[in-house]
Amino acid sequence: MTPCFLKIPDGLKRYPLVGIVCWLAALVGAHAAQDVRLRVWSHQGQEAENHAVREIAEAFNAAHRDRGWTVELSFFPDFQYTEKLAVAAAARDLPDVFDLDGPLVARFADVGLLKPLDEFLSDAERADFLPTILAQGTVDGRLYALGSFDSALVLYYDRELLARAGVTPPVEGQGWSWDEFVKACEKLKTAGIEPVALHMNESADEWFTYAFSPVVWSAGGRLIAQDIARVRGELTSEAAVRGVRAWQELFARGFAATDPVEPDPFGQGRVAMDWSGHWMARGHLATKGDRLGVMPLPSLGTPAAACGSWCWAISAETKQQEAAVAWLRWVTEAETGVVPLVRANGAVPARRAAFAHFPEYEQMPYALFRAQLETSARPRPRTPFYAMLTHRFAAALRDISRGADVESRLRKAEEAVQRVIDRKRPTKTAEASRP
Amino acid sequence: MTAWEKQASRRAIWFLLPALGMLAVFVAWPLIRAAWWSVTDADLLATDDAHWIGAENYSDLLRDPRFRHAFLNTALFAILIVPLQTLLAMVLALWVNRPEPAWRWLRTVFFLPVVVSLPVLAVVWTLLYQPEQAGETGLINRLTSVFGFADRAWLRDPSLALPALAAMSIWQGVGLQMMVFLAGLQGVSREQLEAAQLDGASAWQRLVHVVIPSLRNTIAFVVTVTTILAFRLFVQPYLMTRGGPDDRTLSLVQYMYETTFLNLELGRACAAALLFLTWVGFLTWLQRTLFNEEKS
Repeated sequence: MTPCFLKIPDGLKRYPLVGIVCWLAALVGAHAAQDVRLRVWSHQGQEAENHAVREIAEAFNAAHRDRGWTVELSFFPDFQYTEKLAVAAAARDLPDVFDLDGPLVARFADVGLLKPLDEFLSDAERADFLPTILAQGTVDGRLYALGSFDSALVLYYDRELLARAGVTPPVEGQGWSWDEFVKACEKLKTAGIEPVALHMNESADEWFTYAFSPVVWSAGGRLIAQDIARVRGELTSEAAVRGVRAWQELFARGFAATDPVEPDPFGQGRVAMDWSGHWMARGHLATKGDRLGVMPLPSLGTPAAACGSWCWAISAETKQQEAAVAWLRWVTEAETGVVPLVRANGAVPARRAAFAHFPEYEQMPYALFRAQLETSARPRPRTPFYAMLTHRFAAALRDISRGADVESRLRKAEEAVQRVIDRKRPTKTAEASRP
Repeated sequence: MTAWEKQASRRAIWFLLPALGMLAVFVAWPLIRAAWWSVTDADLLATDDAHWIGAENYSDLLRDPRFRHAFLNTALFAILIVPLQTLLAMVLALWVNRPEPAWRWLRTVFFLPVVVSLPVLAVVWTLLYQPEQAGETGLINRLTSVFGFADRAWLRDPSLALPALAAMSIWQGVGLQMMVFLAGLQGVSREQLEAAQLDGASAWQRLVHVVIPSLRNTIAFVVTVTTILAFRLFVQPYLMTRGGPDDRTLSLVQYMYETTFLNLELGRACAAALLFLTWVGFLTWLQRTLFNEEKS
């Protein structure tokens, strides 16, 4: 059936020009009244993941055809996506909804670019999210971003290689103390097996902060005093230095490679343990089968785990708030968003309701991923200065792994970060320096 | 001016307009914006909120140890690169400047790295520089070990990283300068060369007294362009060393990138970019003046 605005009344046919003008006006009017095009940006992940996002968007569009809501997805390459977002923000051209890496939420929220989400979320919905997802998206007590999935960082091990070196792994679900970990490394090294892969060839700065902040945390340290934006004295606190020194020892004693070539020496069977994330679980299970074991990261005191991943946020300037919230809900809802995404990328579901779809979470290593996120995992610092902090911290860790003096190298990093913070936040840091 | 000339110059405006329009939109306007931001405390994510702070960004930059460090690194890189690359390019050009087709192949080989994408080369060279790890060693360390040198972590050693990047950059860029010299060599007068030969000048004397003086403009061009390119150093350290170890390969452009996208200090980054532009402009002017003076 032809929609009414496409029919041209007979009387107007005698005056074609008037007719065309009226018809066009009707068309435009009808268009404006019905059609909401929602601009959505996403980073380009693995192809399976992009495909899943596209399918989720198609399902959303089909389900909201009566409202006239259409999601228009754009993907941008991962490595320049953050810059793309920053430039769009500078040009006041942010899309209605976009995804961003968890630790970057604070810098966008700090300048008022994100819409707070608290009012759109019922208590029941809130309770269904993993605590780490809520923590990652919360800045100064308000929720700004929600993810469909989270990440987990663990220590995988090869049972056979450990047994060959006479090393007994801990009870399932338990981790080693740092001393036990170092002793295991010693035995492995003596047995002629390379003890642990720390993936120091990773080109992204983020790997270093993500993977090794837990060492600082478990020693009782932190990277920044978040509330007052103070880094000076934090990176060089006794606890932080103790943690990083212990970590440096792994390289100094030849337990881990400073310049590895292979991306997955553990999978190749050359290394006994792998300090790595959920993303290796499928591969490791496939190559090792029953030989694969998993435990939390070794601890220097308080067990600490990493978390955090991409999450969705709504631009504060969106004119399509209703549709934007609907999309955010759709993509973080267990059935419509979380399950298809997690099927595609193998990450940890963000919603408790979604775990029912993944029976593997009853077993290791998956059970540990969830357990950590429910208990010991902490988000990386939620500060507007995160991008700079992670860059300097990663640079310091790179140098330290190759023998730089821990305390002076960390001091250099914290000074560099603090100088920028002091420049940008004269008032906040003045308060901070008060006793 | 005749009436025709007047008319022609009036018409010229219309022909110039598209080019001028493009220049205005893509060069002049961004430059004006940058100049404006450079005297404000603009934050990349909140440019509307920028406040006038006068010359503070500039004075602050000149006192910033990290900026000075980046400047010195980049200057050192240029000092390593410019003479070596110019000389090497000239030697290569003289070598392959022969008409037989076989030499064309060699020219192509030397030019190849210029065409290949720099990030790809950065990955390849990172592997070449690889120190021994778990029984695997990069080609360069294997070569040097033949001559009895110890294994080196080229990109991780604070004193070697910048020279290592310079060596890679010379290898990558020399083909382009070689081509410029080849073009210059076609302009060397055959009559002069033959006359010199008849007068009994040796090959070396012909090179020093005939060829090089005729190449003066080419040399000036190559030196200027290489200097500018050297100061724009970014991709190699960004991908191969991330500015490390211990900031030894932090370049000026990387400093600007960090200031813009990590610190979000757009105003300061613009000030750094304008200082950079002024500096490169000054160097170019200096080199042109020096070469012109020698000529006269």
